[in-house]
Amino acid sequence: MSLDRRKFLQRAGAGLAFGLAPIRGAQRERPANPGRPLSPSSGVGLPKSWREMRKLDAHNHVFTPVHRPNANWSEVENLVEAAEVLGIAKLFCSHPIVGGALVEIETVRDANNSVLAAMKRHPQRIAGYCFVQPGNGPAALDEMDRCLDAGMIGVKLYNQFKYSDPAVFPIAEKCIARGIPFLGHSAFLTDPRALAGQPKTSHALDFCALARRYPELLLILGHINGGGDWEWEIKGLRDCPGVFLDTSGSVLEDDTIERCVKELGHERVLFATDSTMEGCVGKVLSADLTAAQREDIFWRNFQRILDRRRS
Amino acid sequence: MIIDINAALGHYPFRALRSNSADQMIALMERNGIARAVVSSLHAVFYRDAHRGNEELWAEAQPHGDRFIPVATVNPKYAGWERDLAEAVEKWKARAIAVVPEHHGYGLNDEHGRAVLARISEYGVPVVLTQRFEDRRQRHRWDAAEDLQMAALLQAARNQPRLRFLLVNWQGLDGRQLANAGLKGRCLIDFARLQVVFRKDVPKLIDTLGVESIAFGSHMPFDYVGPSLVKLENIERLRPADYEAIAWRNAARFLGLGE
Repeated sequence: MSLDRRKFLQRAGAGLAFGLAPIRGAQRERPANPGRPLSPSSGVGLPKSWREMRKLDAHNHVFTPVHRPNANWSEVENLVEAAEVLGIAKLFCSHPIVGGALVEIETVRDANNSVLAAMKRHPQRIAGYCFVQPGNGPAALDEMDRCLDAGMIGVKLYNQFKYSDPAVFPIAEKCIARGIPFLGHSAFLTDPRALAGQPKTSHALDFCALARRYPELLLILGHINGGGDWEWEIKGLRDCPGVFLDTSGSVLEDDTIERCVKELGHERVLFATDSTMEGCVGKVLSADLTAAQREDIFWRNFQRILDRRRS
Repeated sequence: MIIDINAALGHYPFRALRSNSADQMIALMERNGIARAVVSSLHAVFYRDAHRGNEELWAEAQPHGDRFIPVATVNPKYAGWERDLAEAVEKWKARAIAVVPEHHGYGLNDEHGRAVLARISEYGVPVVLTQRFEDRRQRHRWDAAEDLQMAALLQAARNQPRLRFLLVNWQGLDGRQLANAGLKGRCLIDFARLQVVFRKDVPKLIDTLGVESIAFGSHMPFDYVGPSLVKLENIERLRPADYEAIAWRNAARFLGLGE
């Protein structure tokens, strides 16, 4: 499809992201059998007005170097366009260095600059996490200050260090001092090849270790459905009440959200997509939740975290 | 109306599934406005004798009339598989036949794969290829199956130029390569693992293979149905003329269900 964004929004009727036309489709036409008359008020399918439900995507990314001259903005524009269509009010994005690579601080700054550029272009839609590597030492802490002073709201760590590693502690301490969330890449990988590719990826028990050392840290276990045994992860968090988790990831497995709520309580569950945008909206819409629980997960729980930031 | 082309009944050895009996799946379909579902048997994947799973599937689906479109799973390495296949197609009137080479221990293009695909092609019914049931990163230590690879699919398409392919739960399909392998007009792909907005996998496939190549699929009961409902509603916003084709017409045409 080659629609540009303006045409897309016109056709989608999504220029007013939260004032969309009446939804048709699955809600409009849901016969129990072919040919059976439809019942628009049947309550079948997606909840009514799902696009208008406020949503904060607590885990997303800007990977394109859009801060450089003649940048290709298509990834960012597609991201914003999708958020508008899906009723996601704000995307909280980072640009981690992936693959387990440990890089110089200049490369880290360059990655963060792409997020800052996207924030500048779409200030109402994109907010940023500052990616840092504990291995950069004091320079990592300086980079946190630079990013936060430029408007970012938290830090994102990837898989260069286990979060139980003492190298991570100064970053956690700075997060506490500034009252900002620490979003951590996570997975309990049971596939030997996947684990070999990222041996220092933290799992629930690593998060618990950090949370026990720093109970006041706003710690978020990233993408419960990002690949790996999510049931193990949920059980691993049961005894660590201070740790939140986000719902993102490409795995859309039934019962994930309900298991999170049952084992951890819905207040610890944060809506996010990690680029699987339709899927992750759909998961929360499908989950057996009360309206209040769904609203908390879609945005209130994360808003409470944001409200705890100190200048 | 919605026809879901990506569903399964039965137990999965490595994770508890809700809604995996026929009655439970009917209730799930009712809650989500799904009129009919193409279902295969997970037991047929894991039993030594796959056909015993097929027998269970037909027995379980039968009381529900046309709500289920059962698919038989054939293991070409098992004794008498040709007779089982014949029974499924000729006696039970199966609309499609599934093969699971990774689980049954052969390759799509080795002697077993070529034999079973050739026989399915002779019957004139589509073959169902599920790329994977679960993400490999969470595999149980006894779960040795790998994802099906597009290269093997392309080779199989070239080996069997008249065979039609129902491709469910796939990701990473390149429409141009599929077209080059002669699959334009003879494949139907569900969007359970594809994106309509952001990555735009579905619009890209439509550009190269035509809208007739895409259908609604949810991978229930493994996955939530909501993600696919969201995608369908986005299809309707972006490409309203394509809505009905993707919601059900393409599936009905491909499987010969009539309208």
